[in-house]
Amino acid sequence: MTAREFISDRLGQIILRLALLFATAAFLLGTGTQPGIITLLLIGYLLLFLWEQVSDFWHTKKRLDELQAIMRELDQRYLFTECVSPHNLYERKLFELLRLSGKSMMETVSGAQAAQKEYREYIEQWVHEIKTPITAAKLICQNTDSNTRRKLLMELAQIDAHVERALFYARTENPEKDFIISKTELSAICEEAIQNHKSLLIQNGIRVETQDLDEIVYTDRKWVSFMLGQLLQNAARYHGEKPVITLSGKRLGRHVQLAVKDNGIGISTHELPRVFDRGFTGRNGRNRGGSTGMGLYLCKKLADALEIGLEMQSTEGLGTCVTLTFPAEVNLTNM
Amino acid sequence: MQTIMIVEDDPVIREELTFLLENENYQVLTVSDFETVPEQVCRARPDLVLLDLGLPARDGLSLCSAIRETAPIIVVTSRTSTLDELRALKSGSDDYVTKPYNIPVLLARIKAVLRRNSGENAEPDVLKAAGLQLSLSKGVLSANGQTAELTRNELKILSHLMTHAGEIVSRAELIEVLWDSQIYIDDNTLSVNMTRLRNKLEEMGMPDVIKTRRGMGYQL
Repeated sequence: MTAREFISDRLGQIILRLALLFATAAFLLGTGTQPGIITLLLIGYLLLFLWEQVSDFWHTKKRLDELQAIMRELDQRYLFTECVSPHNLYERKLFELLRLSGKSMMETVSGAQAAQKEYREYIEQWVHEIKTPITAAKLICQNTDSNTRRKLLMELAQIDAHVERALFYARTENPEKDFIISKTELSAICEEAIQNHKSLLIQNGIRVETQDLDEIVYTDRKWVSFMLGQLLQNAARYHGEKPVITLSGKRLGRHVQLAVKDNGIGISTHELPRVFDRGFTGRNGRNRGGSTGMGLYLCKKLADALEIGLEMQSTEGLGTCVTLTFPAEVNLTNM
Repeated sequence: MQTIMIVEDDPVIREELTFLLENENYQVLTVSDFETVPEQVCRARPDLVLLDLGLPARDGLSLCSAIRETAPIIVVTSRTSTLDELRALKSGSDDYVTKPYNIPVLLARIKAVLRRNSGENAEPDVLKAAGLQLSLSKGVLSANGQTAELTRNELKILSHLMTHAGEIVSRAELIEVLWDSQIYIDDNTLSVNMTRLRNKLEEMGMPDVIKTRRGMGYQL
């Protein structure tokens, strides 16, 4: 609070007081009181008034600063009313009102949280349930003629990919509960991801090359496999002529870096900073259709939770390279 | 013949899995009463149990602990988190496959667990077909008293053709087989490998041993 704010707040009161004072002085002058006495009274009263206003300003400012300091130091700012004690009746009543307002807000928030949790649980449940019919359909496919089988398996793989994304989306809401960091071979993660997208990759005539994957990383296999899956799906979706995807490992001091490189149609420079945004599809996505803008967004979220550095470089018409930098064993914070 | 017991509550999956495994020359038993699974396992003594964790009557994990002494177990489940996997392995399952499973992967895992538990190498090391003899461990092909060394890709292609001698093997099938062995090639690369393989066969005096069936695939 500044002096100017204080004065403008009290302007009406100050003017009224001064007007009253001068009216009284005029009245006294009219009724024959000596001007000397009136001047004395005026000066005395004005000094008193000034002192009253200054001390009022001072106290209010001190109290407000104190309250602001408490607020600043609070981690959970909604607990403010629990941390202040009222100095007078007015404050007590005011804090009481604030507390009621805060309480009602808390109820709304926790209601929303409970609803969200239920929704997330339902999604997870649903994902597990839908997998049974997908499995059954895959098995039925296995026993049909090969051409139909291949096409149906492709479609089923698509369904499966969408379902997986939904599951991981639900999981990213509360990621720390769902992953386990363990010592894993990079090659095993890559193999799993490639196997899971085998039919999609073969169907698109893609060759996959692997290089130097004999590295050990400390991470959650399933999550990284899911992330690689998203990258492989993108590479398959936006491929160019003679498509090749290269998965290569590299040791950078204590870190291990995995690069997923393709020679696809690439992403234009001005769209590159937004590829990890939720729902961003870009020109490629719009041209080709069927893009949800969720895959890379989920990758980024999962990577952040696992402390994996996720970066993308791309040149339009030449291809895209995504690198995952795994945390070193010693750097693993308490996740 | 090895026996596999399927403990799965979804009837369609049970039926199709039975069909699939019988095609792979396994004897298949199914369970429809889930109250007494351990007793049934005890009675039938299968070489392997495929156990679905989401059974109606009992918790799959406790079931897993109950039958681990009697038979090796592969847990099949739609629960995919690492924690679930860890729990299953702790309860004594030999392997863990998530739904919807990749069928070649499932078959490979079944084979691996069976081999581990019977303690013998079920895969023959030397394949013989159409006058050719192929040593899988050495990667050496011999015919007409001559030998030739094969690359990894050529070895996989030829061994698949030899195990399916007489049948027509499509290019798509060959590509899939190679992908299952971590050789992720495209159609063109398959052609290149095929040509090289044929050249080697020709040098050994075996031209045209791999026939091209137009529009269908290859046949040994």
